[in-house]
Amino acid sequence: MRVLLMSLMLSVAAVGHAQEGFPLDGTWRGQRVAGTDTPVTIVMVLGWDGKTISGLIDPGPKSIQITKAELIPEGWRVKIEAHTKSGEAISFTGAIGKLGAYDRTITGTWIEGARSYRVRMVRE
Amino acid sequence: MSSRARAPLAALAGLGAAIVAFYGAPVWTTSAAAAALGDVPPPRFSDGMVRFDRAPGEKGYWSLPSASSLIEEGVSVKMDARGRLANLADASRVAPFQPWALALYQYRQKNDFVDDPMHECIGPGNPRAMLTPGGIRIIQDRNYNRVYILYGGGNHGWRVIFLDGRKPPDPDEVVGTFYGNAVGHWEGDTLVVESIGFNTRFWFSNGGLPHTEALHLTERFSRPSHDVLRYEVTIDDPRTYTRPWKSAWTFRWVPGDIAEYYCETGRP
Repeated sequence: MRVLLMSLMLSVAAVGHAQEGFPLDGTWRGQRVAGTDTPVTIVMVLGWDGKTISGLIDPGPKSIQITKAELIPEGWRVKIEAHTKSGEAISFTGAIGKLGAYDRTITGTWIEGARSYRVRMVRE
Repeated sequence: MSSRARAPLAALAGLGAAIVAFYGAPVWTTSAAAAALGDVPPPRFSDGMVRFDRAPGEKGYWSLPSASSLIEEGVSVKMDARGRLANLADASRVAPFQPWALALYQYRQKNDFVDDPMHECIGPGNPRAMLTPGGIRIIQDRNYNRVYILYGGGNHGWRVIFLDGRKPPDPDEVVGTFYGNAVGHWEGDTLVVESIGFNTRFWFSNGGLPHTEALHLTERFSRPSHDVLRYEVTIDDPRTYTRPWKSAWTFRWVPGDIAEYYCETGRP
């Protein structure tokens, strides 16, 4: 019962955060997957100031600053660049899905160093 | 109009002038009986302030907006009652969009507004509430220096405008709402209202115009005649539009009362 109640509360909270403004604004959560590796959760927080998209990957003590981000309205494509703490380049390219929904998605490819991952992020 | 109010009004109309106490000391002069006949000067309080709502003994509200969607003043494009463009190629003329905002506006137009939050009974927010069918009333509370706007459409909501000289809140601290935080002042007979602090859970116009939390509205309300309310709004949202832009429309005075109406899912 407790789990059911928690699920209901979370679903209500998600609806409550519908966002109709800049499509990338907000918190995105997903997993990067490669082969049989254990999926790794990724969280991105993105914001738009009218000129620049900025944000963090995995906010917290180990957060990574996004160095470049771009939203291309044709096809609603997304390009994000950053560097890990150890200096490896991160490149995420994807496309927004369900643009008009509160739980829109970004599906694409995450390249970190020499490895490539499939990623599907969902806006929270 | 109640029979209690109608009797003295009829008598006063015969004298050519009416003085009716309401909300303290305000007064209604002259045009009461002639109001229904056409454009006559707007009613005023005893100190000369224009009334935006019904005068004592009157029943009526503002409705029949002359526009169906925000569109930059001076631009003419065809759209239907829901703000859907007759020709999608006109989209870029509606407002000075940033590229992402134009693309999102076109997306919503092409999709026949399937994602419109109002389909889920999420409120229209401001200024879309000024375009939503159902009518509005503008109540001047002179005791507390506030104006209340009551909306007959959408969620039957209301908003408050503070005229007591308070400063608008810090935009970085305010929690965004559908109607924003509004402070106002008078410029002659025009009520000027500044609003900030909006959330992004709504479409701020019929037709799917986008906005961000940076939205800043400057609204100007004036009543050039008894039957006409002029509404002008300047949109300043540098995250969505390349420059501030203005839209304006009028309302007609409609005798009677706003009807009861509540939004039901699927029927905004």
